[in-house]
Amino acid sequence: MSLTAPEKKLLNAITTKGSSAAKIVRQLDLIVVLILFFAIIAAFHIHIMLTVGDWDFWVDWKDRKNWVTLTPMLLIFIPAALSYPFMQKFGLPIAGTLCALCLVIGEWVSRILGFHLWTYFPYSMIWPSIAIPGLMLMDLVLLLSRNAIATSIFGGSAVALAFAPANWPILAPYHLPVVHIDQVVNVADLIGYTFTRTATPEYLRIIERGTLRTFGGESTIISTFFSAFVCMVLFFIWWKIGEWVTNLGTVPNRFKKMVGYTDEDDDNAKEAV
Amino acid sequence: MFMGLFILIAIFGIARWYQQWAAWDYGLDSTDPLFDKYWMTVFWGELIVEVILFFVFVTYFWLTRDKKLNELTPRKEMNRMIHWVSMLAVYAFGFYFAGSFYAEQDATWHQTVVRDTSFTPSHIFLFYMAMPVFIIIGFSLFTYAITRLPVFAKRISLPLVLTVCGPFMLLPTVGYNEWGHAFWLMEEYFTVPLHWGFVFFGWSILALAGLLHQIVKRMIVIMPKVVDEKGELTS
Repeated sequence: MSLTAPEKKLLNAITTKGSSAAKIVRQLDLIVVLILFFAIIAAFHIHIMLTVGDWDFWVDWKDRKNWVTLTPMLLIFIPAALSYPFMQKFGLPIAGTLCALCLVIGEWVSRILGFHLWTYFPYSMIWPSIAIPGLMLMDLVLLLSRNAIATSIFGGSAVALAFAPANWPILAPYHLPVVHIDQVVNVADLIGYTFTRTATPEYLRIIERGTLRTFGGESTIISTFFSAFVCMVLFFIWWKIGEWVTNLGTVPNRFKKMVGYTDEDDDNAKEAV
Repeated sequence: MFMGLFILIAIFGIARWYQQWAAWDYGLDSTDPLFDKYWMTVFWGELIVEVILFFVFVTYFWLTRDKKLNELTPRKEMNRMIHWVSMLAVYAFGFYFAGSFYAEQDATWHQTVVRDTSFTPSHIFLFYMAMPVFIIIGFSLFTYAITRLPVFAKRISLPLVLTVCGPFMLLPTVGYNEWGHAFWLMEEYFTVPLHWGFVFFGWSILALAGLLHQIVKRMIVIMPKVVDEKGELTS
């Protein structure tokens, strides 16, 4: 896309060091970065904590098929939706990485100040899942392909395929077997028994059924591939949702006469927005 | 902007300190007179202040509106736009406390301590302080936009409406959530469908990207006029 003559002039003014145009743009950049940082932490974190949060909070919940399967699926919603405006409107294939970074910052602040300092759980029990590698790969595919369908297939699946391997090194030591009251459990379970969460389902009833636990075995791989297929579809659906939300546009303001406008002013504004 | 961010840090920092000090000692039993003294007093106090602040800010921005927006100079419009975008940063910061900080620590509190009231030490600051604070900021910045910024005054921006009204809908969802917790005897399973209303309305912040795009497009229109005043617009 080529620039018009006025746009070229504006670009020259912006890139001139010390110009007022450059200062305005830098000021605006700083504010926009702050807005995106806080808004993405809030939106992505509340989405994750209320859809797959329980598997993310506790180390003894991190070895469940639902964690391997559901977490990547839910991880892709907001990064995929934001990929559309970031890439198509601003030329920045960074939505996935930015979302993952914001999420991990939001989670760690809450885990330290809430889970650790307020309710006294140890860090070894409450570390958040690692989501950055998969979402970075998603961005990489978008950067190289600049195509939503290719990113759905290769980038979407990468979110799920990278999830279990990225978390495995930190999770593996918690899966060492120990004998506790004549039962074989793992280290994560023992931590869970020690630091009781009085009101959680596991304390009130047994929720384990069949092969819900994976221990990094073949069901992890199967779950991961299943998740990858679903992620491909979800990326495209949420890319489209992002497109729709970004291009919502405007509606007439019936109160505009109260701020000095007439009906004729409407069309000019429509062009501007 | 920095003043707004500082005020929010002060408010939410003090609230977090108060939780640390009073939650375990006075916040476990809602039938205890000390619960009334240390927690319900805070609850009623913050509720009264928030309702007053909401009407003060929104009424102020409406009554002091620019009645000659059609005569606004590009420089003045740009100054207002930057001022308003910085208000948007304060709004996003307020939403962070409600959507991330206080929201997730609500999980650890209620999964650890069995609740016997809707007004728990966690909820009193999450639902009845953090959420109203960003709602007050959101409606204030919406009123500012339609009364002082030509681009949002001529036509209402739907991404702006979603950015403000979507997170506002978290407040009615609180009512449904509390009704659900009272109606069903539930385990504290944070991902229960009862909580998905918060997720749904949280998604509306996605419209922020569309809003930022509208802002940038408008800046591209008014910036050359402002820059040209200083003769910087050369080929």
